[in-house]
Amino acid sequence: MFLRNAEPWMDGSTLGEHLEESGVSRRSFLEFCTEMAVILGLGSAAAPSVAKALEAQKRPTVIWLEMQECTGCVESVLRTEAPTIGDLVLDVVSLDYSETLMAAAGHAVEKAKADSMAKNKGGYVLIVTGSVPTKEDGIYCMVAGRTIREHLEEAAEGAAAIIALGACAHWGSVQAARPNPTGAVGVRDIIKNKPIINIAGCPPIGDVVTASVVHFLTFGRLPSTDREGRPLFAYGNRIHDDCPRRAHYDAGQYVENFDDDAARRGWCLYQMGCKGPATYSPCPIVQWNNRTSWPIGAGHPCIGCTEPYFWDTMTPFYRRLPEVGGFGVEERVDTIGASLAIGAAAGVLTHAGMTVLHQIRRRKSMKQVPEHEHPATEESHNG
Amino acid sequence: MTTGKPRPPVRPSWFDTKLPRARGDITWIYLWGAPLRFSHWLSAVTLLILFVTGLFISFPMWVTAGEASSHFLMGRFRFIHYTAAAFLVFGGIIRVYWMFAGNQFERWPALWPFTRTNLRHALTMLKSYATLNADIQPHFVGHNPLAQGAYTTIYVLTTIMIFTGFAMYGQSNPGGFFYTMFGWVPSLLGGLQHVRLLHHSIAWFYPIFFCIHIYLAIRSDYLERAGVVSSMLTGGRFVASHEKFEDCDLGDQPAVPWHTGEHPVWVKEP
Ligand code: SF4
Ligand code: SF4
Repeated sequence: MFLRNAEPWMDGSTLGEHLEESGVSRRSFLEFCTEMAVILGLGSAAAPSVAKALEAQKRPTVIWLEMQECTGCVESVLRTEAPTIGDLVLDVVSLDYSETLMAAAGHAVEKAKADSMAKNKGGYVLIVTGSVPTKEDGIYCMVAGRTIREHLEEAAEGAAAIIALGACAHWGSVQAARPNPTGAVGVRDIIKNKPIINIAGCPPIGDVVTASVVHFLTFGRLPSTDREGRPLFAYGNRIHDDCPRRAHYDAGQYVENFDDDAARRGWCLYQMGCKGPATYSPCPIVQWNNRTSWPIGAGHPCIGCTEPYFWDTMTPFYRRLPEVGGFGVEERVDTIGASLAIGAAAGVLTHAGMTVLHQIRRRKSMKQVPEHEHPATEESHNG
Repeated sequence: MTTGKPRPPVRPSWFDTKLPRARGDITWIYLWGAPLRFSHWLSAVTLLILFVTGLFISFPMWVTAGEASSHFLMGRFRFIHYTAAAFLVFGGIIRVYWMFAGNQFERWPALWPFTRTNLRHALTMLKSYATLNADIQPHFVGHNPLAQGAYTTIYVLTTIMIFTGFAMYGQSNPGGFFYTMFGWVPSLLGGLQHVRLLHHSIAWFYPIFFCIHIYLAIRSDYLERAGVVSSMLTGGRFVASHEKFEDCDLGDQPAVPWHTGEHPVWVKEP
């Protein structure tokens, strides 16, 4: 589907045979397997095993549902590194249904999808991009006269595993940002009884998607995940800990303006609101678009797009902390906190002054008595 | 000195350091156990360090010049912050232990004085502060309910600080002990940025508390001369034996002159 001249992968033949037919050299296939093994954290020594497992794969079926989304994720997947092989793997997984990529349309394609789901019941992989609108019975996203929620539930029913691709399918992304007018939620909020893996990011790096598919093909199950359901091989490390600017962070060297000298020297973007310290993503390692670059590498702070609810929690993107609603204006915590602290200090000083004045006046008004008439300790306190 | 020269009652003069004459009925009582005092001063020092270093970590106002390899400014600040935090937690553990082993003023029920009567006393304290009228103040051997309320609040806030702090600390070692143990904190608060915001916001309560706490302690020493400031060092304060207290009946205790060095310990096992 991605490669116009690729031979169709026939049912029953293995991936190895299919690659040979398509004229892919053994060498580039092994290179691809090495790459995937490294991304998956298996190490390059595992490449032969990955190759062996992949080669023997029979043609699996993938249904790709596109829901409430911007198709940015599809765009990202199309730009996987080593495009020939990477695309081929996605191609080999046989996209029986993908709204953006398929040429066919209309009733025919809906029927093809239904047929494919029925034929491969319990065995196909469901890739989902986009979120599910839940308000007004989900009428904000309809395909073929039915809500996307129905489509999702139907497709999930017979899926072996679900790959929730991108922030939309993960938790709802930009549509789910406050005030979330469509009631957008992720796949995990709708489907509870299937193994789901969340390829986090808006969009995620294409290679991570490919690697997850390769993992599924090689081991027959989804890779292990963190609390968020994100594959650990990709989202196990914090950007801040893999960042090439980290030395500047520790040294105390920060960009304070996008056009200052520090920015030219490539210092740390912490002061520009970098969310690297709160974000788990393989961006510094895998990078984007055939290792061209990545946001922090290009001088822009990380906005934390692999973290759930980042549109609400990571904003403002160019400030360190989320804003706090003040008295009709957005106030920063520091302004409020410092004002309160100064207020407390001033209040205390005023109160102290008044107490002393009060005491002086009190003492002055006291009756003076000779010492031998002192009542000693009878009045143990006086205000 | 029976010259008959008139002098003000009770207190001879403003800066006279002479103690009021003890006629056998001013008593020094031992209130605060050593573990409590230790954790108090440990917290005071570490919280101060934590606040200052925390401010720098959140807003690094000094930028170093030259090669990154020759500096470690942020690294040092973070190291001090984490070390101070470790000591704070150490003091906290001692305080928690003492909540079960201490006397009636130190035990955990004392942290929760929110009965109807005590709320009334707290209001009276507020009124006394507002009107500068100390005569209406209810008397307490331990903390008055208003003060105790403030201290309990600080305990709660510090607990939140410790949890949010460890949650962020754990991020540098994903899958490690702190990451795993405190992983529920970001989930509960809806993301690490909210953890950060909460940690940062609560930090501002400490300078506010410091100001008011130190002021009121000194003020109470100035007005009542019961030695409450030094009680956090020596462990005890002065009471007049005939004084009536809301939280403890000292009536049946024999009055011992404070200068005899015999320090009665007021521990009533519940
Ligand atoms: S996750 Fe982001 S890039 Fe992907 S479809 Fe949603 S909005 Fe577009
Ligand atoms: S640029 Fe961002 S991720 Fe990199 S060291 Fe600075 S704060 Fe951390």
